[in-house]
Amino acid sequence: MPPRIDGVKCNGCGICDEHCPVDVLRMDEGSGLAFAKYAEECWHCGVCRLDCPTEAIDFVFPPQMLLI
Amino acid sequence: MTSPDTVAIETDVLIVGGGLAGLSAAIAAAERGARVAILEKAGIERSGAIGGGVDHFIAYLEAGEPWDTRDAYLRWIGTMARGAVDLRVHNAIYCRELKAAIERLARIGNPLTQPDGTYYRTAALGMPGPYAVNFNGKHLKPRLAKVVRGLGCQVMDRVATTNLLCNGGRVAGAMGFQIRTGEFVVAQAKATVVTTGRVDRLFENPTGIHFNTWQCPSDVGAAQAMAFRAGAALANMEYLRITVVPKGFAAAGLNALTGMGGRFINAMGEQFMARYDPRGDKAPRYRLAQAVMEENHAGRGPVFIDCRQLTAKQMEHLYATLSYDKDTLPDFLAQKGIDLAKDPVEVMAAEGHLGGPAEGVGSGLVIDETCGSTLEGLFAAGDCTNAASTASPAVTSGCAAGKAAAAYALKAQQGQPSREQVEAEREWVVAPLRRKEGILPREMEETAARIMWQQVGPARTEAGMRAGLDKLLRLEAHLDQLRARDLHELMRANEVRDLLLIGKIMATAALYRRESRFGIYHRRLDCPEMEDAWNGQVRVKNEGGRIAVSFCPLSAEVPEP
Repeated sequence: MPPRIDGVKCNGCGICDEHCPVDVLRMDEGSGLAFAKYAEECWHCGVCRLDCPTEAIDFVFPPQMLLI
Repeated sequence: MTSPDTVAIETDVLIVGGGLAGLSAAIAAAERGARVAILEKAGIERSGAIGGGVDHFIAYLEAGEPWDTRDAYLRWIGTMARGAVDLRVHNAIYCRELKAAIERLARIGNPLTQPDGTYYRTAALGMPGPYAVNFNGKHLKPRLAKVVRGLGCQVMDRVATTNLLCNGGRVAGAMGFQIRTGEFVVAQAKATVVTTGRVDRLFENPTGIHFNTWQCPSDVGAAQAMAFRAGAALANMEYLRITVVPKGFAAAGLNALTGMGGRFINAMGEQFMARYDPRGDKAPRYRLAQAVMEENHAGRGPVFIDCRQLTAKQMEHLYATLSYDKDTLPDFLAQKGIDLAKDPVEVMAAEGHLGGPAEGVGSGLVIDETCGSTLEGLFAAGDCTNAASTASPAVTSGCAAGKAAAAYALKAQQGQPSREQVEAEREWVVAPLRRKEGILPREMEETAARIMWQQVGPARTEAGMRAGLDKLLRLEAHLDQLRARDLHELMRANEVRDLLLIGKIMATAALYRRESRFGIYHRRLDCPEMEDAWNGQVRVKNEGGRIAVSFCPLSAEVPEP
């Protein structure tokens, strides 16, 4: 499931959106924050978290993956 | 949107797919003085199968042991492939380029050595010696991307390439569209190199999450599909590749787990792998995947990999390595409550994909010793070819292709693209956005993936595959009803076209190969024996819309250097 983006730490730089290899992320026009627009297409490569300069991203795996 | 704006570019060497092979090709071509342009669907910094990192690089280092030589390596490749690879080609695009590739990685700041300067090498997957050089490839991709931009290559990120441009039997570039702006892109080139990797999302996913894939779900066979439509020959398209992954998460790491000494156990704690192969836990990948499936089917599951016997130092290395491919794998294990030092980790057979039948060998474009395809002006490298697979052949063949493409381009004339072809492609690209009703790409894609798993999956029969082919053809007839609600979905709509074609090709090639080999990678219940007469490649070509099939016998004889 999608990366979790901390609304306080996210500075709206857009690097996660630029780097996501599957076009999952977008920058919200209102808040300027990153969000996972196509969440079901996230393959958990972790690139967004790796490259985020403010450590605003973490991953919480869904039950569908953890409990199967 | 009526007709999108068009961006037209012209270059010497066009690279389609900015992954590991593509960037390697770009660097090689640019260093030889060619103008280079790259069409990349995402962003070259982190795109492709190893965008988030890679944990090992297959290499013989000629450090003295008998297995550590070119000859021994090629004997291993040849033995494992049994005719699925042309060793003369693999020798040319991998062995001849290997030393330079290793030096180049060090030069760009990502050496294959450990921090203390030594090599950490492990053996798994049928290797006669530890060919897997473990290294930290977490930032290899951004480092390569920096070099590429620094060389002045024209990088077009967020461009989904939809088709090759052809001009009288010659490839003259490619077309696609920008996935955020919707601009149509026409890229003319004297030489085109396709490097779009393997084919994912082709089969139904065992977790029910279609994009929970072992390799990058953006890689859906653009090169194989476009090249086939243009008339290039493809090979090894019949093989379904499946690996073993942690249950629930298609994360790479099998090589690390088994290389470090992880042992497969079933629900009774039995180390069962020896029943399936004399090499036990170090058996080839197809054996491991088949064994995991069969233990589960026989009621002896769940199946696990047990690493509890590793030393603390080995465990530390293992955890670090497991994070190099998919950065979130340690998080997954932790959230699942698994500490590999104390708990065996449940594993499963991953989703099927098209990624070559054996280690180092791919499924895709037939290439020669200079990475030239069977079409004039078209080169290919990496996993989308029939002669390379995984990271180190991607780097070496990328370099070989870049060199050859640059040499070709510097002597070639620029071809003129056909106006009809460009207009037809533009119409295909725009059409789904205009439709207010129709089928969503995801619906069509998941239907195809289900058909593929049920009819062209790990237990094949002639009747089953013919039924599958028929269903895929009927599904394909609905392509002109595809509807896209935005540009992202338009990209997915285009991908469905390629996936359906590749599915049909796989079924056709699998029907042709009337025998079984590589376990579940091509298991025909109606022709269960492997026959030496089939040592070679099944090849396919587009003949007036028909998938024409032929056979090319190949030997496992080790060629001269």
